[in-house]
Amino acid sequence: MSRIPGLGIARGMALTLRRLFQPKVTVQYPEERYPVSPRHRGRLQLLYDEFGALKCETCFQCAQACPIECIDMGGTDTKDRFHVHWGPPEQYAERRSESALRRSGRPVPDPAYTAFEPVDLAPLEAILAAEDYDPRRMPAILERTQAAYGHLPVATLKHISHSTGAWYAEIYGTASSCEHLRFEAPTTRAIGLCRCAACTLAGGGRLRAALEAAGGTELPGTTPDGALTLAAVDCHGASPGDPYVTVDGVPQRGLSPEKLAELATAIRAATARPGRA
Amino acid sequence: MSVVARSWGHLTPAGKVVVPLLGIVLALGLVAFLGIVTGILPAIGDTVVLTGRRNVGIVRFLVAATAALLASVPIAFINIYLEMKLLAWIALRRGPNRVGPFGTLQSVAHGFKVLAKEDFTPTGADRAVFTIAPVVTFLSVVLAFMVVPFAPGIVGVDMNIAVLFFFAIGGLTVVGLLAGGWASFNKYSLLGGLRSAAQIISYEIPLTLSVVGVVMLAGTMSLHGIVEAQAGHFWNWFVFQQPLGFLVFFLAGTAEGNRTPFDLTEADSEIVAGFATEYSGMRYGFFYFAEYVNLFILSAVTAILFFGGWSAPVEIHQLAAWLGVAVPSFAIDPSQLGIGLLFLLALGPALGTVLCAIPVALLRTDWSLRRALAVGFVLFNVVAGGLVIAWAYLASEVVAGLFWFLGKTFFFVFVFVWMRATLPRVRIDQLMGFAWKWLLPASLFNIFATAAAIVLVNR
Repeated sequence: MSRIPGLGIARGMALTLRRLFQPKVTVQYPEERYPVSPRHRGRLQLLYDEFGALKCETCFQCAQACPIECIDMGGTDTKDRFHVHWGPPEQYAERRSESALRRSGRPVPDPAYTAFEPVDLAPLEAILAAEDYDPRRMPAILERTQAAYGHLPVATLKHISHSTGAWYAEIYGTASSCEHLRFEAPTTRAIGLCRCAACTLAGGGRLRAALEAAGGTELPGTTPDGALTLAAVDCHGASPGDPYVTVDGVPQRGLSPEKLAELATAIRAATARPGRA
Repeated sequence: MSVVARSWGHLTPAGKVVVPLLGIVLALGLVAFLGIVTGILPAIGDTVVLTGRRNVGIVRFLVAATAALLASVPIAFINIYLEMKLLAWIALRRGPNRVGPFGTLQSVAHGFKVLAKEDFTPTGADRAVFTIAPVVTFLSVVLAFMVVPFAPGIVGVDMNIAVLFFFAIGGLTVVGLLAGGWASFNKYSLLGGLRSAAQIISYEIPLTLSVVGVVMLAGTMSLHGIVEAQAGHFWNWFVFQQPLGFLVFFLAGTAEGNRTPFDLTEADSEIVAGFATEYSGMRYGFFYFAEYVNLFILSAVTAILFFGGWSAPVEIHQLAAWLGVAVPSFAIDPSQLGIGLLFLLALGPALGTVLCAIPVALLRTDWSLRRALAVGFVLFNVVAGGLVIAWAYLASEVVAGLFWFLGKTFFFVFVFVWMRATLPRVRIDQLMGFAWKWLLPASLFNIFATAAAIVLVNR
């Protein structure tokens, strides 16, 4: 069949000729409009009434009804005091599974759920009691928790959520937006070196060369074995006459290049992970 | 603001066209009236007519050239509209339908848009050549128009070497394209121009050779004579004696007219319009104007050479004689009617409207009389228009010829558009290989086969 020359062209021409007489699909937009799908939600925005005031009464029903907690409501009260609605404690998992049950007719396991390690909650209870279980003191609670546990385990965040009434999602958001709060224990040790002009004049260049030689990497970077991170830190003028060096965040004084290289090599030997490099 | 300016501002766009025209007509009428009254016009009238008679060739040429130039504008607009509409329909779209009834004025709007755009000449361009290149392209196409016979007697210049003239003038197109590419001071334009020159010159050869068979059969190179050689029923058309010649001519003509699948010259989806990269405004428009007129002329020449030109598929008088019925003669001379003509013109429309309105009013009693009359008026116009066209078709062989010629021509325009909607563009090496390895041998074989057949039949 396909060996006949011109057959494909003839078939194509026949196809386009049929298309010529078929009904057209164009929708003449301003005159004709397709019905909008009932599932279409349009664009989320706050509406204003005819006096220019927001129609939103801050009833928080939208935030409560949102099954994936993507709506986060805050507002001010009539006396212009900041007022945030802290929702009922931790409904996230329950409501998502309820929703799945309603839609599919059978319970659906959550593949995103991972079991978290239980921790000793006694220090956290003390912190919470000291902070009066107040969600508005969340940054302080989180900082003190990190100081007590070294990082923020999931179990502590869940417990904070239960105790204070703040949503887990909000606590997570607060914690993840603060650079000094971390969710995993630090596995890599870090040496920081300031690169400002004052520190460089005071001998920072030699320290940096020694550090890079010992670490086998450029200054902002991690050694190939993953044991040591060389970080660029800032002395903020706190180190007159002496290059500013930190080891795991603790400032060090009077380090010579040889001593620093020795220190770096020792750290690498102690914390080298066999899986890397 | 003066009264004139204010009145001018109140005019609709159509009025702004009509009012100056009315002024011109009035001025001409005044001049004619004064000339007749003072006796100047009758005095010089004889001399003018005599001079025209003595130089009838020149007068005829001037009239034909003006007519060709004027006719090219609506023809290009119709072709552009057809192309837009048919491409849209094949793509299941609706096509232009906003400007004018069914979007028929869309191409006019495009023309005005192109006219309103800036006409830009790039720095370093050869200004004179850059300006003249679109004119050369357009003129070569319009000159080819001069030898196309539309109907018996309706031809610009009835040359005895019309076929040769057509190909010679058609070959001038490439000069315009090459000049445009070269003068643009742009290496891509130059490459585009060279490429289009290579394509068009390559396809010129099989295009010309494929017609040799037709010329041998007809015994003349006059397009008028070639059409007359195909007179009679449709089996006299040369397409049935020269199928290979027709195929080669049509394919080579597709390439010659820069139509898909051989539109390597323009290739709008791949290269930036080749030689026309630096062109803008109406100079750019002239290239495309020429292309669409060329599309019409290629279709027309295909219809003339292979499909009997203006001759009907079936000779109605011969058919009637064979069936034993007489075709009524409608050769009415309106001037013979005398005073009856006046009555016909004055009362015919009114009587016809009433006659057509009566059945409407009887059938739709719920309509008001005004409405029935309005519908009757429309009905009368349709009937009268149909009658006039039918009368013109039967009474005048020019109208009948024009009908069949334009019908065949626009059928081929449709085929060109249809091909554009269907076929993908070929590569440049495929394009060249097709011309030299297939079309050229095929056209040569066609010449030898035709010559052998003529010798065998005549012996």
